[in-house]
Amino acid sequence: MAMGIFLALIGGAFVCVQNTFNANVKKRISVWSTTALVLLLGFAASFSAGLAFEGTGLFKFQAEPWFWFSGILGVGVVACVTQGVQILGPSRAISLVMVSQIFFGLMWDTLGWFGLEQVPFTWQSLLGVLLISGGVLLFQLGPKLKQKQTLNVNSGSIEAND
Amino acid sequence: MKGILFALAGGFFLTYQSVANATISSQIGTWQAAAMTQLTGFLLAVLIVVVVGDRSYQQLNQVSPLYASGGLLAAIVLFNNMTAVHQMGVTLTIGVFLVAQLVMAIAIDSKGWFSMSKKRIGRTQIAGVILMVAGIIVLKW
Repeated sequence: MAMGIFLALIGGAFVCVQNTFNANVKKRISVWSTTALVLLLGFAASFSAGLAFEGTGLFKFQAEPWFWFSGILGVGVVACVTQGVQILGPSRAISLVMVSQIFFGLMWDTLGWFGLEQVPFTWQSLLGVLLISGGVLLFQLGPKLKQKQTLNVNSGSIEAND
Repeated sequence: MKGILFALAGGFFLTYQSVANATISSQIGTWQAAAMTQLTGFLLAVLIVVVVGDRSYQQLNQVSPLYASGGLLAAIVLFNNMTAVHQMGVTLTIGVFLVAQLVMAIAIDSKGWFSMSKKRIGRTQIAGVILMVAGIIVLKW
């Protein structure tokens, strides 16, 4: 548990750093070219790490057919978030994305789909999710919205690979 | 309305991605799962670049190599995400990820790191993060 929280804290911090880097790339390059670059490097890094830790064992696996289509999800993220940001503006779009993320998480834990371990629904966990959502909305939509435009872009988890 | 649906769908895809990655990794291994989803995503993104006739990648040489290499961080992000989902479920993992993201955003913006314009962070942002941490505690109590 403590290890999980530690890993998630590091992971989340890196998501933000990566989004900031990507925002700088997008100043010159389109969203889709940036996405392709980011995913290519993500593949290279994961592949190298796999080789380093597991050697040729990396290639010994039996994938179900749908595994190969999982990359579509990342592309779905970029497509939807980009559209949302264009229509609603970054702060409103990203806050909605985050709230949606955590509510779907609660739904998924409760239903235990896709072989995920089921976590029974409790009113307490709903309260926790509501508090987190409230915090996100306060952060993104609170006063001084105007000056915070770039902040909102940075803080969004708008990448295909987090 | 359409924008709201897109944003909600974006969140759905992000969560679905975490779940799918965690499921795949428990069957074939974490690095295999990370490499596979990134590779297939890359191929699809390239297809889109080709179909829409996007040539902006030719300006890649004008981008600082540091920023252009941001994608490498995905290996750490994915490994941590999958391991955390296995250990404590999706909701808590996403909650902690979001807190860390916003705290890091505060750090980057208040210091003006990575070519971001320096900004003063309001009390609302701090209060938002505190509320989120309270939510995490309630979630796990």
